Amino acid sequence: MLSVISKNRRRRLYSQNTSFCCYRFFISILWVLPLSYAQCVPALELGIGDWQAHGFVSQGYTLTSEYNAYGHSTGNGSLDFTEIGVNVLGHLQPNLLIAAQGLYRNGGGSDREDFRLDFANLDYHFSLGKQATAGIRLGRVKNPFGLYNDTRDVVWTRPGVFIPQSVYFDSLALRQAMISSDGGILYNRFAVGDHALKTEFVVSEPLDDTGGAAEFLTGIPNARGKLGGRPLFIGRMGYEWQEGRFRLLFSVVNLDRDFKSATPGVSSGNLKVLYPLASAQVNLEDWSFTGEYGRITAERSGFTPGGVTLENTSESFYVQAQYRFTQDWSALLRYDSFTANVNDRSGNHLAAMTGLPKHRFYARDLTAGLRWEVVRNWMIAGEYHSVWGTGLVSPVDNPDLNQRNGPERWDMFSIMLSYRF
Amino acid sequence: MHMFVAAWFVVSAALIFWPEPARADNTTLVPYSVSKQYTHLTRDDLREIFFGRRTRWPDGTPLRVFVLPDHDPLHIRFSKEVLGVYPYQLRSVWDRMVYSGTGVPPTMVESLEKMKTVIKETPDAIGYIEK
Repeated sequence: MLSVISKNRRRRLYSQNTSFCCYRFFISILWVLPLSYAQCVPALELGIGDWQAHGFVSQGYTLTSEYNAYGHSTGNGSLDFTEIGVNVLGHLQPNLLIAAQGLYRNGGGSDREDFRLDFANLDYHFSLGKQATAGIRLGRVKNPFGLYNDTRDVVWTRPGVFIPQSVYFDSLALRQAMISSDGGILYNRFAVGDHALKTEFVVSEPLDDTGGAAEFLTGIPNARGKLGGRPLFIGRMGYEWQEGRFRLLFSVVNLDRDFKSATPGVSSGNLKVLYPLASAQVNLEDWSFTGEYGRITAERSGFTPGGVTLENTSESFYVQAQYRFTQDWSALLRYDSFTANVNDRSGNHLAAMTGLPKHRFYARDLTAGLRWEVVRNWMIAGEYHSVWGTGLVSPVDNPDLNQRNGPERWDMFSIMLSYRF
Repeated sequence: MHMFVAAWFVVSAALIFWPEPARADNTTLVPYSVSKQYTHLTRDDLREIFFGRRTRWPDGTPLRVFVLPDHDPLHIRFSKEVLGVYPYQLRSVWDRMVYSGTGVPPTMVESLEKMKTVIKETPDAIGYIEK
């Protein structure tokens, strides 16, 4: 009898959840419809000089087995993946650019920040000869890191529905600190014929007080407090042949933050993160091959048990092939791997230490996907993931993650529909 | 002699990777500007312009760039034959500029006729036409 009641209640809760999902879906459709009138206009020309406005509306559907991703995705799936952005760009002077973008994003438990100012910057550049430029960008700037970070929330610039999770972490609170920051970028590009060298260097205040980043960076559940101290440093340099037909990049993030605890029983401390990432890409007429490899070394002290300094190095890499079989269709195949501790690849040691299943300490993801540009500016992408390990599963979407002894292998299927102008 | 062999290797490697110019009809695509028609532009200059890195002419006037849609056969030909790149390389650089606030991509026009009109009407504009 009890079980019948609880089953009924569960069903009721579930149907409420589904109708809420539908409601959200219709809201996003309402967003898209008026915009689609502008379909024949590729961008909104604002009529003053080269000023343009652009935007995008993307709605995802995620269906998973065993674990939730982007909302309550097991069972009938989740529509908790919406990305909407509008931006304005234009030159005040031929060498002085102003640009800003507002972004609404809902990613289930991994992103509940809704609306935010994604970037708002002034950019001044000057020529140093025929093929050399240098410049400075100030304001809220996008963090230049790896191949995809600068434009990671726009599906049109991603190889599929999701960017490789081992390197870019969408489901963990770290993403908030990775997207953009307040400060400045110095950059230059120097080319001789087909060969170009690019360098970017960022000094900024990271947005690590948003989206649970403090909690994630300190590694303490429900930690309240403020991160402050030294600004964030990011460097990216690279070589490009024939405008990116071959490209080699090296990026580094260096974070050194003081944590001022506001949680009773948790001391203040310090956190240092070093994240070097190497990226390579070959772009042929029909094929693109991409690989990125990085290691995150985090050093935590003060707020750790007994105040000791804890150091951990994780490993992230993926290899990816894209095939454009027509102008409108492309296919994707990727193997993505994350290891929480390089000295404990199978997770055995960490599992024994923490009592968690060993698959919490890694994630290997084999992805196959398709992408179709239905008509100009309308796109649909779909992909299937076969995942071993739960190292990148969102603890917010799966509150019982550390209590239950779930399976190692799970599946994820995802579709995203997007319109842009 | 060794230098010669090395140079030959470099040149032939470059030729292998170069996209085949697809000239189905006997036309060529040429950059088109009214006010700057006497400015000499090399392939490197055109890449700086169409990839959005150069934003003003040598005399300091602001540069306005016009292109046809990505799938237009003439745009594909201009990308491959004149700039020596695949159209998706341009698209990926323009998208990056738009969605990271680092530049303004060229303005898209729907047809070659529109391109000619808009270039005549816009001061210091550049695009391309078929000859």
